[in-house]
Amino acid sequence: MMTLSLLLCLIATVIPVFFGKIGVAPLWLSLQALGLGWITLHHHDEVSVHALLAGVEVLLVRAWLVPSMLRRLLANQAAARMDLMPSNLFTWGIAVSLIILAFKFGEGARLDVRALTLGVMAATVMIALLILATNLEPTAQLVGLLFMENAMALFESLMPEPWPLPVHAAVSGVYVITVWMGTLLQRQPTETLENLALTAKEKHE
Amino acid sequence: MSELNESHHAQHWTNPLLVALALLAWLATVAVFITHPLAKLPLYFLSAYLVLDATSMLFLLLINTVFLGISVYMMSRERTSPVLARDRRLRSGLTLLFMVVMNLGVLSNHLIVLWALIEFTTLCAAPLVARGDSIAPKRVAWRYLLYSSMSLGITFLGFMCLTQSAHLRGLEINFALDQLSFALTPANDPWQRLGLAFMLFGLGGKLGLAPLYGWLPETYEAAPTSTSALLAAVQFNISVVAVFRVLQVFHGFDAGFVSQELLVMGYLSLILAAIQVMAARNYKRLIAYACVSSSGVIAIGLSVGKAAAYGVVLYIVSNAFVKSLLFLTAGRLRAVYGTNDVAPLNGVIRVLPFSGLLFTVGIFALLGFPPFASFLAEMYILSGIVQVGNLMAFTLMCSMLTIIFVATGRTVFPMLWGASTVERPRFTESLLTTIPKLGFVGILIMLGTYQPERISHLLIAVAESIGGR
Repeated sequence: MMTLSLLLCLIATVIPVFFGKIGVAPLWLSLQALGLGWITLHHHDEVSVHALLAGVEVLLVRAWLVPSMLRRLLANQAAARMDLMPSNLFTWGIAVSLIILAFKFGEGARLDVRALTLGVMAATVMIALLILATNLEPTAQLVGLLFMENAMALFESLMPEPWPLPVHAAVSGVYVITVWMGTLLQRQPTETLENLALTAKEKHE
Repeated sequence: MSELNESHHAQHWTNPLLVALALLAWLATVAVFITHPLAKLPLYFLSAYLVLDATSMLFLLLINTVFLGISVYMMSRERTSPVLARDRRLRSGLTLLFMVVMNLGVLSNHLIVLWALIEFTTLCAAPLVARGDSIAPKRVAWRYLLYSSMSLGITFLGFMCLTQSAHLRGLEINFALDQLSFALTPANDPWQRLGLAFMLFGLGGKLGLAPLYGWLPETYEAAPTSTSALLAAVQFNISVVAVFRVLQVFHGFDAGFVSQELLVMGYLSLILAAIQVMAARNYKRLIAYACVSSSGVIAIGLSVGKAAAYGVVLYIVSNAFVKSLLFLTAGRLRAVYGTNDVAPLNGVIRVLPFSGLLFTVGIFALLGFPPFASFLAEMYILSGIVQVGNLMAFTLMCSMLTIIFVATGRTVFPMLWGASTVERPRFTESLLTTIPKLGFVGILIMLGTYQPERISHLLIAVAESIGGR
């Protein structure tokens, strides 16, 4: 089941990069987070309150709240119809090479699930960096950033013990506020210009 | 109408309150510094999540002193610019929150808590950056947030690699600063090295070190000048604290690796900054690139350690005041001329004699002239580099600093003393606007000529904590 969850994470990372539009990214992010949530809940043999809370947090925040915020941001944006990554053989070639390299990185670990987790994590980080490097559209960059955040959460699942709850809450809080601020800064660019329709001399400090 | 009244009412208390709180914070910090000798430190608070040691003491003093000056400047500027009254409360509130988080971050005794607090300072600063008057300030603020999140994301990956390293060796890891070294190994451990590399690379991005420096010039240029000063002179220092904490924890572990990584980032930053300064025709951007070069000097100094460490600490302290002085003076120039371009400002010293003079002083301090502290600091760093025999670093640093010196002079000196194309009346400048800048100049001269014994001991203690001798 663990392997299936990891494969779900990998598919939800790879497919949108090759075939996905930015507008569908919230769905893929939710799928990634569902896989992550399952991994977090079943990481240890016994289900502890700590693991349960961490798992529920992943499901609530990463699978529902953040994709919803992104969906709302994309609702009236032309960018939603754009490709998440430019669709050409050059970028596809780089993406495939990066994924292969990522799994080479994962081979260092001895256990199979561990190697697969490292491979999926490294592939997600590489894909996130590729999205950031190839797309100047702010919403696509936000999606790249969220891929990176999910990769970090996946890495967390490798740890012998989850982070202490206060640390987990702080990291999660930073994540949600960052996404909220990101959506806020990307919303209504025309309104911004109207708001700032002041002469340079008046406005500056 | 009521909104207007409310705004008018707000202007009577919001900024004076900010100044009062900044003054209180500064007085409290000075009182703690006077009443707590270095021998009695470290002191732990809040279940050891916070620590007062030499590093936190120095940076508390530094950021609160700089912030006091910036808050006085904000009050003076907003008094003369009624349009700024429209979001005065939000701006002051965010600035205050930023400073509270900064103080907590400097005191933090836990790497992950410090990491989260650095990100919170970015979240407080991003809306302030979005209030700039560039063409697309929100876009610049977004890129600032994106770079910051990416840099800190990479740093967090570093924490995870360290956890992985400890786990594979059968050890528990605790990210408290006084506990973390127990989970490290002096042996060549790839996960540990990867973790260290990620942490330094990510934090280097927050310091504006190449290659992750792209956010810095555009953010410093587009943000309101008080925000640029906050970012360059205050937020920069929380990232410095994080790097110092990493170096303190890794003291004796992977020293050569740390040194190499910092050296490469330092070289790259100096070279890129030198090229960009040569091309800059915008005084705010020029200051921003000078900040990149300063980060490069700091990285090279830290990579050398030992004899250069004292110079690095002094350089960081002096740089905070130089950057504040330059950005706040640039704000005054921008207020009168309405542009960041150098060309229309030719002969600025005749129109704004006081600001022109302060800008000149700031540029000389930036370029490392005596009697300013930056001169002394650069000499210490260069002498430290020579002592360890790294002639490559010495040659490169000297060459790049010379290029930056010539390029800056070629751009800035005609702006200050050149013949103006348009005749402008001489502007009067309020005392309140100039007081903080004069204070910064006074501190820079004091640190460069005579350091009180307590301050000197504090600088030495911090330098020793990062491997200085």
